[in-house]
Amino acid sequence: MSEPSRKNLAVEAKGLVKRFGEDVLAVDGVDLAIQANTIYALLGPNGAGKTTTINILTTLLEPTEGWAKVAGFNVLEQANEVRKSIGVTFQETILDDELTGKQALDYHARLYRMGKEERQAKIAELLALVELEEAANRQVSTYSGGMKRRLELIRGLMTEPKVLFLDEPTLGLDPQSRARIGDYIVELKEQRGMSVLLTTHYMDEAEKLSDKVAIIDHGKILIQGTPSELVEQMGADVITITGHGNQDAFVAKVNDLACCETITTGNGILQIGVDSGSRRLVEIISIANNEGYVVDDISVAKPSLGDVFLKYTGRQFRD
Amino acid sequence: MSAAFTLWNKQMVKSLRNQMEMSGMLIQPILWVVLFGVGMGSLLGPSMPGGEDFYITFMLPGIIALTASGGAIGGGATWLHERLQGIVKEYLAAPIPRMSILMGNALSIVTKGLIQSVVILIVGILVGANLSSNPLGWLGALLLVSGFTLGFAGMALSMASSTDNTGAYHAMIMLLNLPLLFLSNALYPLQTMPTWMRVGALINPTTYVVTGLRYMLINNGAELAQVDGIPLWLCFLAIAIFVIAGMWLAYSTFKRSLQ
Repeated sequence: MSEPSRKNLAVEAKGLVKRFGEDVLAVDGVDLAIQANTIYALLGPNGAGKTTTINILTTLLEPTEGWAKVAGFNVLEQANEVRKSIGVTFQETILDDELTGKQALDYHARLYRMGKEERQAKIAELLALVELEEAANRQVSTYSGGMKRRLELIRGLMTEPKVLFLDEPTLGLDPQSRARIGDYIVELKEQRGMSVLLTTHYMDEAEKLSDKVAIIDHGKILIQGTPSELVEQMGADVITITGHGNQDAFVAKVNDLACCETITTGNGILQIGVDSGSRRLVEIISIANNEGYVVDDISVAKPSLGDVFLKYTGRQFRD
Repeated sequence: MSAAFTLWNKQMVKSLRNQMEMSGMLIQPILWVVLFGVGMGSLLGPSMPGGEDFYITFMLPGIIALTASGGAIGGGATWLHERLQGIVKEYLAAPIPRMSILMGNALSIVTKGLIQSVVILIVGILVGANLSSNPLGWLGALLLVSGFTLGFAGMALSMASSTDNTGAYHAMIMLLNLPLLFLSNALYPLQTMPTWMRVGALINPTTYVVTGLRYMLINNGAELAQVDGIPLWLCFLAIAIFVIAGMWLAYSTFKRSLQ
């Protein structure tokens, strides 16, 4: 890929650091360069620094060190310009139960000084987009989780933002609602030219939606690239083993094989990226037998983003 | 300022829709006047210069101040709830001044306080308080009550910004609220207090709102108010300082909570 031109960056950050007090280092030197009109997913276990990064980019928190630009504006010096250019859906559902869906959208747009007619037109358009017209005049307290999330999504769209931040937009939703929100997000990029930075707990979602993925842990970005780039470097197949016994000797022997590109140990799970799963399976089991490692469970699969995640964070994604 | 108005409007719509909040808000001051005022009045009244109605007239400004501070405490609790829920983040990500977020909240507290004050005055008249009919006096009184409520709202919002614990907030604010009521001339006149208490009462904004209300609301109120030796202009000055101090405190604590 050609070097991204800086003019076309929706989000740019250099050396972002955020400390809370003396002990907590939530973000530890994050660099970002997110191309406009792309979907970028930040993946990481809980407490990895995803939300803190989003809070800095959306001007809610000031970085301890480093700088960031969103839509070309500096988050510190031009915070108000940044705020005018972004839409945000936070991790928690934050809606006033006492208001109707329509009112929630209307009050939001009034904070951005949108005129009355403009607001009404936009509200009608967006309610139709997420199929909430019928519930529009009902109190939010009567909405299901999926409806609330859809309402929050379009609340962030009321002001036609250039950059949209979605912190766990599908957390806790049923698969159907998740798929629906995923479709809307792709539509926003393709039809409205928006840039989207999202965090998610769902690997399949990240793989399907995003143009680029970054894995973040302990406040650092460990690797980034397109989902297929990340998956390909795992090897053609991944053999996943759980077992007990002389693990170190087994791991050392496997690493000596030319066929085996990756090996990860985390939570007692071994992951071996190989050139051909069915061909290497027998070989690996026999090494285990020779080295005194007892295999409890073994499986062969095409690698997924979840395997990449496990490799870099040493944790299963749901931890 | 338009953002503050929008947030004020939203808070009011939310409150008006909440029937429990509305009925509590309206009934509580009535109970104060009727139960406390009438009860204390019949106990103390006969021994007082103006007879039984005198004590109700005397303490009505105190009930207004108490209700206003109660409203501010409730407003602070709402603010804490919005902070903990994350609702405040929606405002923080919007292109509006930080101060307008606080002002929207504080103004809705003031509006509710004013509604309660009018209820108290009407109930006061019904149970025999000797109130003035001068509209200018009422206007000045409501202005002073607004200032007092705004100042107290600032203190409550500041405390609600400095903790993430509902229990801690209520413990702290009650600690503040108690002397604010009892260490003032709201329930008993200044000259009957020991000196240390009088000094405390003189640095308490409640004393100034209560004195100001006596001047402006009560028939021949100047006579009643002057015994404490505080002129009316000083009441307005003291409350103006309280407003500035309260809102400044709220603003600086809120800013710090965003670090």
